[in-house]
Amino acid sequence: MRSLAVVDGTVGTAARQARALGGFLREGSSGHGAAETLVLYRDECDVGRLVEQAPTRGVRLVKTAGGRPDAIVGILAALARDEGCRLFIFAGGYSGTESATRLAHRTGGAVVTDALSIEVGSDRLLCRRHVYSKHMVGRFELSASPWCVSIDVSWGDAQTAAALEHVVLSATDETGTAAEVDETRFEDLELTQSTPTGDLAQSRFLVVAGAGAGSREGVERVAAAARRMGADFGVSRPVAMSAWAPVDRLVGVSGTRTAPELCVVVGVSGAPALYWGIEKAGFIAAIDLDERAPIAKSADAVILDDGVMVIEELAKIIASSRE
Amino acid sequence: MNAVRILVCFKVTPDYEALREADWVAGEGGGAHGSGAAGGGTGAASRVETRYVPRILDCFDESALEMALRMREAAAGGTVPVELGAISIGGKEVERHLKTLQALGYERVTRVDTDADLDFAPTVTASIIARYVENTNNTDLLMLGWRSGPHDGGTVPFLVAEELGWPCLTQVTEVVVLSSDRVRVAHVVDDGVLRVTVRLPCVLGVGNAVVARLRVPTLTDRLAQRGAPVERVQGGDLGIDVAAELAREASVLADLEVIRRDRPGVIVGGESPREKAQTLFDSCLKSMIEKL
Repeated sequence: MRSLAVVDGTVGTAARQARALGGFLREGSSGHGAAETLVLYRDECDVGRLVEQAPTRGVRLVKTAGGRPDAIVGILAALARDEGCRLFIFAGGYSGTESATRLAHRTGGAVVTDALSIEVGSDRLLCRRHVYSKHMVGRFELSASPWCVSIDVSWGDAQTAAALEHVVLSATDETGTAAEVDETRFEDLELTQSTPTGDLAQSRFLVVAGAGAGSREGVERVAAAARRMGADFGVSRPVAMSAWAPVDRLVGVSGTRTAPELCVVVGVSGAPALYWGIEKAGFIAAIDLDERAPIAKSADAVILDDGVMVIEELAKIIASSRE
Repeated sequence: MNAVRILVCFKVTPDYEALREADWVAGEGGGAHGSGAAGGGTGAASRVETRYVPRILDCFDESALEMALRMREAAAGGTVPVELGAISIGGKEVERHLKTLQALGYERVTRVDTDADLDFAPTVTASIIARYVENTNNTDLLMLGWRSGPHDGGTVPFLVAEELGWPCLTQVTEVVVLSSDRVRVAHVVDDGVLRVTVRLPCVLGVGNAVVARLRVPTLTDRLAQRGAPVERVQGGDLGIDVAAELAREASVLADLEVIRRDRPGVIVGGESPREKAQTLFDSCLKSMIEKL
């Protein structure tokens, strides 16, 4: 069966895509994932570097005009049609979701996004992914092929790639391939680049404020306490959406997935959408008034009290211990 | 000047945060539209019982609804008129939200009436939306949340766009109406925030916009719209056999497993916030912080 991992080398996240796909192929696909990697690149790309990063030994290079994922999908649809590729695996995130979805639609295949793992059968693909706002994991059966899979962004946590002796199997130029959606509908593109996960992803000591902080003032007091104790500061979605803190501080499904050694959460209920963003923490201390909140069972230590008052006291203690 | 005709598609979902931990079990439970008896899934263990859980607007859809209102207000100071419509697929639980939207100034509100369980049927959902847009032929800009529960797949905006042959941007955080055929959009992509001017028509999937809550209409506004009609259409009116489409869904939820997130949850005692903080520091945090 022909199967391909797809790395979009035309965007700045190619290395992260390749690492994520490599981790998924090793640990998330029972060894039956992609046999080859399709690397899309443009003139200005460092092709040698892209080949080195590829998650499989066999690499197929395709030069494209770049642009929006829609243009790339046309190339992949032709591969499915002409070469009978039955499985396409994309890295998680915006581009992967769009490419997998559009490809499935144009080829009459099936799509699944945010895959945690897959099992490849002769006529079925089984896939596990989060559902119900990450309260549950669902197992999906995909019948019609090609199976178009984008993997969960948590696979991007993979830090290392396997050492492979890469072989370039083919190199084609598809710069003349037209997108099916009229590209002239997009004008005046202006990209403000940023690290996809921001500084919070690198944090070793993190304080997160939730709606239980009570008000903008409460959140600001938690942020000040975090600064005093030398911790990074993040917030839950309800706090960011109430405009009590900048959106780039958002931790969880809608924001950053963190992996600090120590995480203190203040006024956070422990909803899975937020918890997903801190579940890799080495130690979680929760401060909340509600002993029935889910966070009480998913933290290592729990203080049942006013979160803002306790975090301010904790900041004083930590600051004085450093003097 | 021609008006920009915006249609916002929204979903009414159970408030999952209202469920207790013990209620998160796989079973025969109903979907967002009620009994869940009318299709989808392969068996008894592929749903969570949510029939009696309070219903809310899906969070990203709610942002889209409020964003559209603000786009009209911002455009009103200029020369571009904006017309607003809203559509939702579901049972009677949708009606009160449509009435609220009428009171807030949405001129066209429509319910696609079905008791089918479309919670895990993004392809069917997208087909219904696309056929409605095609049949009514009065939409320039379709807005909806970039993903919605319980499927959370993020595929519906792209599928609708594919059906219509329109461009699509998701994870949208800002939209400004520039003219009757152009909008300026900011949206989050994998390597940053992309600002782009898009020629209409197009589909926009709203993400983490700092416009999270739909405003509340006044009683006067509600009374003024009390008799205003809500359009109701069936799948058949749109040329869709919903049951047959569900049977053809190529990605089917087979079963569910509960996620265990248990940690020790040791309660730290003390008489005051200061004493509790000190106990936590001495017993757990001190050694960790020294190593950071």
